[in-house]
Amino acid sequence: MTSTLKGITLKGSAELVAEFFSFGINSILYQRGIYPPETFTRVTHYDMTLQLTTDPKLKNYLTNVVSQLKEWLFECTVQKFVLVITCLETNEVLERWQFDIECDKSAKEISAPREKSIKTIQDEIRSVIRQVTATVTFLPLLETPCAFDLLVYTDKDLMVPDKWEESGPQIIDQSEEVRLRSFTTSIHKVNSMVAYKRTDSA
Amino acid sequence: MDLEDDTTVLTTLKSFNSFISRTDPPQRLSEHSAGPANLHNQYKRSMELLGAAEQVKSKNRYLQLDQEKKQMELSHKRARYELERTASDSARDLEHEVDRNQDLLGRIKKLEERETEAAKNLSEQLTVNRSLRKNLDGLNRKLEERDTRLNTSNQTISSLKDEIRELKQKIQNQDSAVSSQTLENQELQEQLDLQRRKHQEVSQLCQSLQAAQTSCSEHIIKIKELERRLALQEQDFAIVKNVKSEVAKVPDLEKDVKRLREENAFLRESRENCSLLKEEVEGLRRKLERTEKAKEELVNMELEKERLAEKLRAWENIGQSTGLNIRKPEDLSREVIQIQQIEISLKEQNYTLNSRVRSVERSQAELRAELSQQRSKALDEQKKREAHDALVRRLQKRVLLLTKERDGMRAILESYDSALAPTEYSPQLSKRLKEAEEVLQRTQNHNAEMEAQLTKAQEETGTLKLQLQTVELELESLKKQQASAADSSSSGTKEEVSILRQKIEDLEAERQRLEQQNNILEMRLERHNLQGDYDPVKTRVLHFKMNPTTAAKQERQQDVEALREEVTRLGKLVRSLQDGGAAVHLQDDSGVHAASLSLPPSKEVLDLRKQMESSELRNQRLKEVFQRKIQEFRTVCYVLTGYQMDITTENQYRLTSVYAEHMDDSLLFKKGSNGSMQLMETEFSKTLGEMVALHLHHQKSIPAFLSAVTLDLFSRQTTV
Repeated sequence: MTSTLKGITLKGSAELVAEFFSFGINSILYQRGIYPPETFTRVTHYDMTLQLTTDPKLKNYLTNVVSQLKEWLFECTVQKFVLVITCLETNEVLERWQFDIECDKSAKEISAPREKSIKTIQDEIRSVIRQVTATVTFLPLLETPCAFDLLVYTDKDLMVPDKWEESGPQIIDQSEEVRLRSFTTSIHKVNSMVAYKRTDSA
Repeated sequence: MDLEDDTTVLTTLKSFNSFISRTDPPQRLSEHSAGPANLHNQYKRSMELLGAAEQVKSKNRYLQLDQEKKQMELSHKRARYELERTASDSARDLEHEVDRNQDLLGRIKKLEERETEAAKNLSEQLTVNRSLRKNLDGLNRKLEERDTRLNTSNQTISSLKDEIRELKQKIQNQDSAVSSQTLENQELQEQLDLQRRKHQEVSQLCQSLQAAQTSCSEHIIKIKELERRLALQEQDFAIVKNVKSEVAKVPDLEKDVKRLREENAFLRESRENCSLLKEEVEGLRRKLERTEKAKEELVNMELEKERLAEKLRAWENIGQSTGLNIRKPEDLSREVIQIQQIEISLKEQNYTLNSRVRSVERSQAELRAELSQQRSKALDEQKKREAHDALVRRLQKRVLLLTKERDGMRAILESYDSALAPTEYSPQLSKRLKEAEEVLQRTQNHNAEMEAQLTKAQEETGTLKLQLQTVELELESLKKQQASAADSSSSGTKEEVSILRQKIEDLEAERQRLEQQNNILEMRLERHNLQGDYDPVKTRVLHFKMNPTTAAKQERQQDVEALREEVTRLGKLVRSLQDGGAAVHLQDDSGVHAASLSLPPSKEVLDLRKQMESSELRNQRLKEVFQRKIQEFRTVCYVLTGYQMDITTENQYRLTSVYAEHMDDSLLFKKGSNGSMQLMETEFSKTLGEMVALHLHHQKSIPAFLSAVTLDLFSRQTTV
C-alpha cells in the first residue's frame, strides 16, 4: 500500500477502488437484505462500522470478482461496475447499482504518484458508503426473494478471462434513477448511482 | 519365572558356600607352616600338634560341617522362607486374581445390566420410533387429506368457474331474451295501441249504434204518435171540414207567415252579423292590446335609441376630439391596430437607432482612440521638433564660435603675416589657412545640412499637424454624423441593418433551439447512461460465470423440479387412494406409507349416516305414537273411571273427578317406598272425612273410596 507515501500510484489507486467495491457490495447486500443479516459480521474500516459477509460461497465469489476487477482497474480498462439485483420469481431486474469508473489512462505512462492523500480519499469513500446506507429510506422494499449479479463494463479489446462470460446490460424497464456521491483517487473517478424499478403506487 | 529365580538364588548361594569353604583351608595352612624349631619337640610337638591338628582339623571339620550344616539349615530356612514368601506372594496373587475375577464378574454383571437397559432403551426407542412413524403416517394422512381437499377445492373452483361461465352465458341469453322481449313488448304495445284505437273506434261505433237505436226507438215512438195523430187527424178530418171554412183565411195567414219568416230570416242574419261584429270587436281589442304593447316597446326602443345615439355621439365626439376617422368601434380597433403597428415599427426603429447609436458610439470610441494616438504622435513630433530646434540653436552657437575662432585665427595669421616675413612662412601659413578654410567649409556644409534637416523636421511636423487637423476634422464630421444618425438615418442602411438584425435574431433563436436540443439529447444520453446503456462498439459487459444469480436460479430450478416430482407422486397416491381398494396394492408397491392409510370409504359413512337418520326418524315416530297412545289411554281412563290422573311431582298423583264441583277439587295420592298409595290432605279431602274413615281406614280400599266419592259427587250433581 501507499499509505506511507504522500501521493498515490496507479497500483494503490486500483487497490483502493477495489477495496471500496468489496465493502460497498457487502454493505449493499446487507442493506438490501439479499442475504440474511445473521450471515454478516461487523468490521471497522474507513473509521466506520461495516458489515462483511461470512458466507463462504459468497466470500469466494467476491474475492474472485474483486481481484479480477483490481487487475482491470490497474489496466484502466473498466468503464462501469454494476451490481444487479434480480427477482428470482419473475427474473425481473429490480435494482441496479452502477459505478461509473473514469480512468486517467495517462497514469499508465507516468508512474509518478499523484498529490492526494489516502485520508481524503477514504473520507470521500466513507461518504459514498454512508449515502448507500441512506438510500434504503427511499428504495422500494424487496418483497420477493432476490439474487444479485456483478457486471463489469470493459473495453471491447479486452481478452475475456476464464470463468467470465459476456452478459446483457440487465437494464430495468421503467426505472427511476438517483445519482449518489462520487469520489476520486485522482487516477480513478468513481461516480455512483442507483436505478430501481418504478412501482405503480409511486 | 519365580522358580527359575529361585534356582538362580540357590545356585548362587551354593557357589557362595563352596567359595567360603574353599577359602578357609589355605588360611590354616599358612598358619601351620610358620615355625619348625626342634625336631623332637618338634616331632612330638608335631605329633601332638598333628594330633591336636587332627583334632583341631576334625574339630574344624566338625565345626566346618556344623557350620555347613548351619549354613545348610540357614539356606534351607532361607529357601523355605523364600518358598513361603513366594507361596504367600502367590496366595496373595491368587487372592488378587480372585478379587479381580470378582471385579470382572461384577463388571460383567454391570455390563449385562447395561445391556438389558440398552435393550430396554432399544425397545423404548423402537416403540418411540413406531409412534413417530405413526405420527409421520398420521401427518402424511393429513397431508393427503389436505391434498384431497385442495383438489376438491380446485375442482369446486373449476366447477364454480364453469358455473360462472354458464351463468354468464345464461345472463347473455337472458339479456338477449330481455331485448327480444322488449322488442316483443314494443310490438305488443304497438298492437295494444292499435287495439285501443280499434277499441275506440268500436266504442264510437257502439255509441253511434246506441244513438241509432235511440233514434230508432224515437222513430218508433214518432210512428206511433203519427199513427195516433192519423187517428186524431181522422177525427180531426171532420173538424178540418169545419176548419176548411176557416181555410179561406189561410192565404192571409200564409202571407203573414211568409212575412214573419222573412222577418225571422232577417233577424237571424242580423244575429249572425251581431256575432261577427262581436268577433271583430274581440279581434280589434286584441289588436289594440298588441298595439299598446308595441307602443311600449316603441318607447323602450326610442329610449334605447337615444342612449345609443348618445353613445354614438360620444364615439363621434371621441372621433372629433382625437381627430381620427372614428365612426365605429371597428374604426377604433383598426386605429388601435394601426397605432400598435406604428408602435411596433417605431420600436423597431428605436431598436435600429439604438443599434446605430451603439455602432456609432463604438466608432466614436475607435476614433477617440485614434485621436489619442494621433495626439500622442503629434506630441512626439513636437518633442522632436523641439529637439531639432535645440539642435539648431546649438549648431548656430557652434557656428558663431567657429566664426569667432576663424576670425581669431585670421587675426593671428594676419598678425603673423605682419610680424613675419611673408616668404619664410607663407607656404606654411597658406597651407594652414587652407586647412582652416576647409574646416570652415566643412562646418558650413554641416551647418547647411543641419538646417536642411531642421527644415525637413519642421515640414514633417507641419504635415503631422495637417494630418492632425484632418483627423480632427474627420472626428468632427463623425461626431456630426453620429448626431445626424441619431436624428435621421438613411433608409438603405436601415433596411440592411434590420435585415441583419433579423438574421441575427433568427440565428440566435436557432442557436437557442439547438442548444435546447443539445441539452435534451445530453439529458437523454445521461439518462441512458444512468439506466446502464452502453455503446456495444466500444464496450462489452462481462460477468462471472458462476454468479449468485445463476446459482440461485439453478437451485430454484432444481427445487421446482423436485417439488414437481413430489406433486406428481402425491397426485398419483391421491388418485390411487381415491380409487379405493386398489390403493392397498399401490401402497405396498410404493412402500412409503405402508398399512397406515386405511381411510374409511365414503360409502360406508354414508350408509351409517342413513342408518342413523332412519333410526332417528323411527325414534321420532315412536315418540309421536307413544304420545298419541298415552293421550288416548288417559282419555279412556278419564271416561271409564271418571278420574283424570296427573303426575304433579315424582311419586305424587292428582286425581280430579269428572263430577267435581270446582276445578280445584282434587285428591292427592303419594306413592310410598313399598308401593302402597297414601292419601294426602287437600281442601277437598278435608270435606270427605267420613268416607276416608270408612273406606280407607276401615276397609283399606282406595278404589272403593274413589267410587264412593264419584257416587257422592254424581248424586250431588244430579240432585242439583
